[in-house]
Formats: sequence, C-alpha cells, structure tokens
Amino acid sequence: MVSFIAGLLDATVQAATVLLLAGMGELISERAGVLNLGVEGMMLVGALGGFITTVVTGSHWLGFGVGILLGMVLALVHAFLCITLKSNQVISGVMLTLLGTGLTTFFGSGWVEESINGFPQITFPLVGQYLVGIPIIGEALFRSTATDYLALGLLVVVWYFLHHSNLGLEMIAVGEDPEMADTMGVSVFRLRYLAVLIGGGFAGAAGAHLSLAFSQLWVPGMTAGRGWIAVALVIFAQWRPRRMLVGAYLFGLLDALRIRSQSISLTLGPDAPFASVINPIVEFLMTPQIMGTYPYLATILVLAYAVIRTKSDQLAVPSALLQSYSRETD
Amino acid sequence: MNVAVTVDAREDIPAWLAYGTPVFTVLAALAVSAIALVVLDVSPVAAYRTMFVETLVTEFGLSETLTKAIPLILTGLAVYLPLKAGLFNIGAEGQLVAGALAGTWIGLNVSLPGLALVPLMFVAAAVAGGIWAGIPAYLRAKWDVNEIITSLLLTFVALEIQSYLLRGPMQGGTGNFPQSDRFSEAATIPELFGGVHAGLLVAVCMVIATYVLMTKTRLGFEITFVGSNDEAAQQAGMSKFYVYLLVFVVGGAFAAMGGISEIAGAQGRYRAGFEPGYGFTAIPIALLGRNSALKVMLAGLFFAVLFVGGSSMEVAFGVPAALVEIIQALVILFLITAEFFKSYRVGIDLKRGPAETPAHPQRGDD
Repeated sequence: MVSFIAGLLDATVQAATVLLLAGMGELISERAGVLNLGVEGMMLVGALGGFITTVVTGSHWLGFGVGILLGMVLALVHAFLCITLKSNQVISGVMLTLLGTGLTTFFGSGWVEESINGFPQITFPLVGQYLVGIPIIGEALFRSTATDYLALGLLVVVWYFLHHSNLGLEMIAVGEDPEMADTMGVSVFRLRYLAVLIGGGFAGAAGAHLSLAFSQLWVPGMTAGRGWIAVALVIFAQWRPRRMLVGAYLFGLLDALRIRSQSISLTLGPDAPFASVINPIVEFLMTPQIMGTYPYLATILVLAYAVIRTKSDQLAVPSALLQSYSRETD
Repeated sequence: MNVAVTVDAREDIPAWLAYGTPVFTVLAALAVSAIALVVLDVSPVAAYRTMFVETLVTEFGLSETLTKAIPLILTGLAVYLPLKAGLFNIGAEGQLVAGALAGTWIGLNVSLPGLALVPLMFVAAAVAGGIWAGIPAYLRAKWDVNEIITSLLLTFVALEIQSYLLRGPMQGGTGNFPQSDRFSEAATIPELFGGVHAGLLVAVCMVIATYVLMTKTRLGFEITFVGSNDEAAQQAGMSKFYVYLLVFVVGGAFAAMGGISEIAGAQGRYRAGFEPGYGFTAIPIALLGRNSALKVMLAGLFFAVLFVGGSSMEVAFGVPAALVEIIQALVILFLITAEFFKSYRVGIDLKRGPAETPAHPQRGDD
C-alpha cells in the first residue's frame, strides 16, 4: 500500500509538471486577451525539437532550450495572425495544432528508434537529502527531475509577475480593456506579442519536458491531448496562477490514477447494503477511459457554474479575450 | 528615413480578389509544403502528380475520393451551419463519434431488413449527434457559456467514451483489438456505383437541403440575420435561443450522419481511430466554403482528394501522409492571411512619418 501511494504521488508530480508548464503559458496568453488553441501543436514541436537536439548534442538542457525556442516560433505565427492581421484566434490556434502535429509526424518518424540520456532524477538541492527520507511523500517530492522543480519555481515567478509587477499588471489591463490600456500609454500590440511568445515558450518547455524527462523517448502524437487539458486547466483555475497549482495536481492525480485504477478496489463487500447496485456504478466510474473524461467534464461544470452564478461583468474570463484590437484611424 | 505602413479598409472587394483567394491560398500552401518534400529528397512535381493527377484519373482514386468526401462534406456542413448564425462549432469530431457509436449500436443489436435498418441507424446517429451538439448549444443559448470551449471539450469526452465502449461493452471480434463486431449484410449501406456507397446520396441531399434552407426560406434568413446582428434580430422578433439551438443540433446531426456513413458504408465495423479527425478537417472545409453550402461540398471534395492523394503518395514515395495535415493547416493559415488583404488595402509610404496617434482609439470587434 505504501509503495502504491508513493508510486502514485511520483506519477502525479510528473504528470502535473506537463500541465503546469503548458497551463502557465496559456494563462499568460489569455490574460493578455489572446486564446491559444495551438498549445498541443507547440508542445509537439517542442518535444520533437528538444529530443532531436538532445540526440545530436547529448545535452538535455540544450534540448530543453531548443524546445522552448520552437514553441515560440510557432507562437510567433499565432501572434502575427491574431494581433497584427486580427485574424480569428480560434481558427489560427486549431490550425497551428494541426500544423504542429503534421510537421512532427512528418519529420519525426525517423527518430522513433533513438534513445537519449534525458533529465536524471536528482535530489532537491540543499535540503533534499534530509527530506527525501520522509515516508511516502519524500521520494515523490524531493527526488525528481530538474524540470519538475523548475515548473514549480516558474509558477511563483508567473504569479508574482502577473499580480505584482508593472509589466504583468499592464498585461492584464491589455486583456481586460485594451482601449483603456492604450490611452494610458501601454502598447497593446507589444504586450500581446510578448504574452503570446511567452505562452509558446512555456508550451515548448512542456513538450520538451515530456520527451526529455517524462518519457525519455519520442513518439508521434505523444502529447496525447495534454495540450487540450492545459487549455481546460486554465478555465478550471479561473485564470488564476494559485488555483492552477491545485488544478494541475488534481488533473495530474487523475492521470496517474487512471493508469493504476485496475489495482485499486473501492467496491463494497457482497454483504454490504445496496452492494449489487453500487458496485457496478463504482466499477464503471473507475474505468480508465471513463476517468479520462473527468478533467473535461469538471472544466465544463466549472465554466458553466461560473457563468451561470456570476453576473457577466464579474466573470474571471479576461474581458477582451478573443477580441482583436485596432486603433481606428480617422 | 521615415517609412509608414498604411492600412485602410477597402470599401469594396475587387472580384478577382474575391474569387481568386481560395485558389491562390491552395497553390501557396502546396508551394510551401513542397519544401518539406525537398527536405526528404522527394521531387515535389512527381509527388504532387501522384497526389492529384493519379487520384483524379484512376477509377480507384475517384471512387476513394467520393467515399472519403461523404463524411468530410457532412462534417463540413456541421461547422458551416452554426457559423452562419455566428457560432463556432469546433466539436464536430465529438458529434461524429457520438453519432457513429449510437448508429453502430443499432446496427449490431437490432435485426430488421436492410431497407429499414440502415435508415434507423442514420436516425439513431442523428439523434445522438444532435444531443451531443445540443449540450454546448443549450449552454450558449440559455446562459451564454462559450460554445467554442464546451463543444471542443465534449469532443475529448466522446473520444474517451468511444475508447471505453470499444474495449468494453461494444468490443467484438477476437477481443484483442478496440473494435466492434462486423456489420451484417442488412446493416451495411448498399453500394451506389463503382465502389461508392449510398451515403453519397445522403451527403448530396443534405447539401441541397442546407442550400435551400439558407437561400430560399425565412428560417435561413433568420439564421443569417442572427449571425450578423443578434441584437437587431431579437428586436425584429426573432428568437436567438431557438436559432442557436437549431443550427447546432442540426449541425451535430450532420456530423453524426457522416460518422455512421463512413462506418456502415466504407469500414464494415467500428474501429477505434477509424477516421483521421474528419471533424477537425471540417473547420477548414467550412471556412473555405463559408459562402454557400455548395462551396462546402466543393471544399469537402478537395480535402478528400488531399486525403486519398496523401495515401497514394505515402505508398509511392514513402513520404509520411502527415504532409496532408501540413497542407491543410497551411491552406487555412494562408486563407486567413489573405482575408486581411482582402478587407484592407496595405500601402507602404516612404515619405510620410508614422501615423499620428488618434484621439479616440476604438476596439475592433470580431
């Protein structure tokens, strides 16, 4: 039992890091008013680019950097289309996911057999060697890959940046009320470009983490919908970094549980009251594929609940999300 | 030197630009994708020749193209119709899957003669697809919950349920693969001509029905009106609630019919991953053909050629068929780029300084 829980926690941390990295990028981009549905594609490009770089150079940090860079390249296309050309953000995003999937399947098929020395499991610096001995949670929390720690560190940075730095607050203003921000002397275009590029970098990092630390191999389509879960996560977290931490670990736990759900038995004994009614329901709800629907259903419920219960002007959704901005020249 | 880029809204779109844009974007996408072919040391001319010419001149290629076009046209309509009312259905994939599952269940578990069973399968599929699309539509119409996000997320719910059913209650065959039993003769859509099944008739009928609805009926006018100005439409006494629900539910039913046609007409059994994401390809199809249902049909045929040609190219040159995804994405990315140049005249002025900041900036609303 103890080893089961320890293994579960370990898998939760690993799954949560992917969602956390991709989700933070999406959150920044959406706070500035640009929905990015290309995360899945940017993650794939980051995963393949990072993997190839690591195979060729042997350096997983260089691979991680290339992954970030490639995510940003795809994000630049999104920024140009949505901000400069004022195209529809949904179409551009979906097409970039398609493009990323196509490009990585096309060019990545020859790299499936390769193996790499990815990110090693390390003990958390300084205090880790003492804390790793804590029963059950010690190994999961304090012996992990560097990217797991990096993601948590970046979350603090993102939270501080968005809510306590001038640039971050300007970015939020641009996503809430671009004309007001513009009259206050904030460059809407520059900040939106910055937000989308940071978002793409995070998505690329999430992909690189996936191929270099999480699975240490490359398979076409290896993101397996995690980019879409990251989009859902931002809504689930109501566009707030701290709630995103909770959401990422919750979704990560679900992801870890579904692989292991066959070895858990929550069914009642045959003599318990209503066992014949309850047991099939419990078994159904614990099927791996049914558990796979929970993050999406939870997000739809959170979204619907938030919209129905609050007046539309108090919503957590950035007010100018999906709206392009142009100065009218008269 | 001061260089100023001026962007002015065009007052009217020149005809050559309006009609030339789709053709130009397709050519541009093919040209850029050729780079990918060159990287893999394949001659783009030879590859495109296989992709288009051989697909269109061989009997096998034509029959495959028409067969693939059936689900593509129907899912294209599933995105097209809500788009006319100003809604974005990016969950056609989920509606296709939900409908295909329901239709397959009827096909495997109900015994009726083929003349009754196949239509019943289509009805079951349409109902399931309609319900699946009805959820985001109701949330949008009643409470203004963003339909883009909910329809998208429901797609992944449908895909997980598909995977559950094909590994559980609906699994058939030897039990090793995520697939259903084979359909009986009665549950199979009959052949129409030359290897093309009768689902083609359904697709063509739905295109005509949608075309008539949008151009000849009062309801079609209401849909367009709600799509262009929902507040004015409501003041004119039209029900936004009803229109939103209608376009989405009918759209979901279209996608579902596309799903069941593919399974009962072309595949013979439900296999996980039986289609390469037609519901997502539906988005480019609806965008290319957004002016009319007939153009949706043409766009559906074009993408069918791409899919069939992509597979022949894979066989002939060993080039991954994923090139088709790259071309698809590029066609639409170029199309939305061209949209900008269609609606704005861009000039570069080398003498004048940068435009002065206007006193009252306004937000451009999409």
